Amino acid sequence: MRPYPRTTELPTEFRESMQALSAAAKRGLGDGTLAELVMIRASQINRCAFCLDMHLTLARKAGESADRLDLLGTWEETTGTYTDRERAALALTEAVTELTTTGFVPDEVYATAAAHFDDRELAHLIGVITAINSWNRLMVARRIQPGGPAWT
Amino acid sequence: MSKFLSDEPAGDKPVSGKAVSDEPVSGGESAGGHVRHDFAPEHTPRMEWAKLAPDVYKAMWQLEKAARQGLDPALYHLVKIRASQINHCAFCLDMHTKDALAEGESVERIVQLSAWEESKHFYTRKEIAAIELTEAVTVLTEGFVPDEVYGRAAKEFEEAELAQLIAAITTINAWNRFSVATRKVPGHYRPAAARS
Repeated sequence: MRPYPRTTELPTEFRESMQALSAAAKRGLGDGTLAELVMIRASQINRCAFCLDMHLTLARKAGESADRLDLLGTWEETTGTYTDRERAALALTEAVTELTTTGFVPDEVYATAAAHFDDRELAHLIGVITAINSWNRLMVARRIQPGGPAWT
Repeated sequence: MSKFLSDEPAGDKPVSGKAVSDEPVSGGESAGGHVRHDFAPEHTPRMEWAKLAPDVYKAMWQLEKAARQGLDPALYHLVKIRASQINHCAFCLDMHTKDALAEGESVERIVQLSAWEESKHFYTRKEIAAIELTEAVTVLTEGFVPDEVYGRAAKEFEEAELAQLIAAITTINAWNRFSVATRKVPGHYRPAAARS
């Protein structure tokens, strides 16, 4: 599994800044349930094993239903599983996560999100999406295993 | 840019009847070369995220400061430019190409960056390893960070420096996301060296 050993190092000041970034974004969004859905969806797209394990565990502990976690990868095909607000956030998550493939963030996606979130919430939602994308990169690059340790 | 603008006298043809920039510009050249009337009009940003989420913005700057520690500035610029190319971040490209040029980077190395695999003799082995790692860590949606890519980076960078490089790649990816999502406008950035 580990043909080439990877570093587990993460500079302390950088790690603390990442934690501050995540905390500020989540606090401003003010919706922990939604934040977990967003973080799980981004981690699926970025294929981050550590982050998926962590956020699925946190969501289950917070009482999220099995249905909503199981179907998250196909949210577009479901009706009645996620609210319109959650769907708008998930669409934005996908657009902001897949910058290299789809290109940019489409106006329709942004407008739908803006219809469900006020400017301040939306800025923090983009913050949450960016923060989990950052954690995904840090964990995938160093091939951090589910359960960690996430850094040394 | 000034050569490009010389086709037509610049400065007296505002786009769509509005001022092209609210920032002072030098030498009669407007930021981004938006003075030509046959250019597409400039868009407006979707929101001012830094003002709406000041705590997040502050954390991003802490992250930025922590990310660049100990890294060669020239290498850092190349990483930022390459990630911004892949993520199609116009604002970040504007900023980081100007910063790189202001700090003495060559036009050739910036121009060749998106084709670095065919222009390796423009870059050091260390830079190539870093650019390759930048691409892999930026394009996660197409699958992980290959062992060969990681291995080549690990050969060129000591462990602590490699961790720092991964942090730097992550940070520009974060800036790219904020700027693309909120559609920040390129063309008006002026590097610190040019401002002073």
